[in-house]
Amino acid sequence: MSMRELKVVATAGITLLMAVGPALAQDPSLRAVAVPNSAGPLLDLEAAFWKDAPAVKVPMLPQNIANPQNTAPAVTEIEVRAAHNGQWYAVLIEWADATKSDRIVLDQFGDQVALELPINYKPGDAPNPMMGGPGERMNIMQWRAAFQHDVDKNSKADAPLQNGPQIAELYPNVHVDVYPDEVLRATDARAYTGAVGVDNPISRPKRTAVIEQMAEGFGSLTAMPEQHADGRGVWSNGRWKVIITHPLAAGDGNTPVLKPGDQTLAAFAVWEGGTKEVGSRKAWANWAQLTFDPVKP
Amino acid sequence: MSKVFNWQIGREMEYPYEPARPKRQFAMVMDLNKCIACQTCTVACKTNWTPGRGQEYMFWNNVESKPYGFYPLGWDVKTLEKHGIQDAMGPVYKGKTLFEAAPEGERVLGYLPEDIDYAHPNIGEDDSLGNMQQGDYITVPHMQWMYYLPRICNHCTYPACLGSCPRQSIYKREEDGIVLLDQARCRGYRECVKGCPYKKSFFNPVTRVSEKCIGCYPAVENGFQTQCTQACIGKIRLQGFITTPDKAREDNPLDYLIHIAKIAKPLYPQFGLEPNVYYIPPVHVPLPFLAQMFGHGVPEAIATYRKASADDKLLGCLLLFGSTPRIIHRYKVEGGIAYGYDDQGDEVSRVPLKEPIHVRAAYDSRFETYRSNIT
Repeated sequence: MSMRELKVVATAGITLLMAVGPALAQDPSLRAVAVPNSAGPLLDLEAAFWKDAPAVKVPMLPQNIANPQNTAPAVTEIEVRAAHNGQWYAVLIEWADATKSDRIVLDQFGDQVALELPINYKPGDAPNPMMGGPGERMNIMQWRAAFQHDVDKNSKADAPLQNGPQIAELYPNVHVDVYPDEVLRATDARAYTGAVGVDNPISRPKRTAVIEQMAEGFGSLTAMPEQHADGRGVWSNGRWKVIITHPLAAGDGNTPVLKPGDQTLAAFAVWEGGTKEVGSRKAWANWAQLTFDPVKP
Repeated sequence: MSKVFNWQIGREMEYPYEPARPKRQFAMVMDLNKCIACQTCTVACKTNWTPGRGQEYMFWNNVESKPYGFYPLGWDVKTLEKHGIQDAMGPVYKGKTLFEAAPEGERVLGYLPEDIDYAHPNIGEDDSLGNMQQGDYITVPHMQWMYYLPRICNHCTYPACLGSCPRQSIYKREEDGIVLLDQARCRGYRECVKGCPYKKSFFNPVTRVSEKCIGCYPAVENGFQTQCTQACIGKIRLQGFITTPDKAREDNPLDYLIHIAKIAKPLYPQFGLEPNVYYIPPVHVPLPFLAQMFGHGVPEAIATYRKASADDKLLGCLLLFGSTPRIIHRYKVEGGIAYGYDDQGDEVSRVPLKEPIHVRAAYDSRFETYRSNIT
């Protein structure tokens, strides 16, 4: 399929969405409750304020517009809450997942969830929820279980940020004679480090399990040079609980500028690694209204 | 899908992108009659490009034994099975390419190998088709046979890895047709690993993104053949550039072998990728197997190859294999000598069609001894 055809198909998909608009209009309306006496990122999965945040069930749909597709995604519903403290907002996403997938090798994929906000939202003018389009820039923050694994491992390590995936961890019985970085100077060995050496956002050492990106349509997703987003996820008893948090206004022009009292849109995507969901093989959700409570005086 | 012309299957076919042939196309010819699976190419490639973390079982160049060798396990028979029986008997392919056979919602018919499929790069090595029975004697083609198949990325004209990537992280260079995977843009979806029928796109679990053969582009840019070609002790490889059949140049050794003498054939042309590594089929292998692997025209290729010693132009071309580390853009045969020239027209290789025979006296008066070998 050529890009032009892709756009036509994508537009057709959006038209279809518009046609079913009234049904979706009752759909999820998220209220970000104001958290008093708090500053900085909201990273506590068990914080008391989450009990005050209304939980909204968001139906997840198959991504069946762009190839390759996923016509039967594993996750069909997520539960979402939102909060903010006047500086940062946070979205708590929960879903049932019987298998924790955070080991990434050729035939094993990781659990992931993404939060999408339009960067320049005009109320009443909803952009394409499927990663935006030309001129419709999206801020997309993706949490990955594999990154969480790295971060959790790093928090216990002597040398933080040096512990990306290790072959000996992925394959406990491995034996390797020698690597270039064991016998060459670091500058000479860099040529053998592949995507790590060119600082690919997927490969670089992780400070957080969330990667912040921008998109203007299918295939355009790009990690941003300035990474503001943070997050944390924990799997227990067949359920993921993940927080994605971001400053209300980061001030770099490439993220939404929000303040208490504002209203915007939020959309979601979920990947079940256990069934090899990755990239466009995902479950997605249409826009939900996201309203930020005014800060209590 | 766009319509593109694939000369190897003699017809237009569907491809996810508009046709855009490069200014010139990287290509290689390998003579399977000469490969002894010494793996010098594999080691040259490995030490040059993939000794790093996460590349332990990654071989951009590998040599496998056919019919029972595979890297990764079963790569071609698995795709052939999914592809089903196709009519590939004539110069115009009547079956479906892997793009045309793509299931609903997919860009190409492919499969993702299991991780463990890469764990035995030398499985099936030297295994013959079966056992010789009491009283059997060798005839040609052999009743029990095997041969070695060296493989790199085919730097296809219509790469399935490129067509599979939803992020356009893979691109084909305009200047030489080499297919590269952008290490900064890839996100490790593994669609290319799934889509490439030759399984020459690999996943690195340390960087969590995919990697592939880079056609030794730093060498090629400087007029040198790839490391696997330079290192080949059997002199089975010739790397250079190929043109389309309508523009074939008789003095381009690759054009001569592929388009004019027609002795070098693409690997699984029925997949529809227009791969740019060409193989001179092994003469001792039964034709049905070779036809499945190299398409139509194999019997004629073998007949021409067998008579190469009587054809100076062809013999000269074959003798230029392994004669120089430089890329030969032009060649000529004159006065019993084959000459190779680089893109500036400078001579880079000179090979006699017949090695001169020197006969020494049987008695060595200096050391007062008789020689056992005098030629």
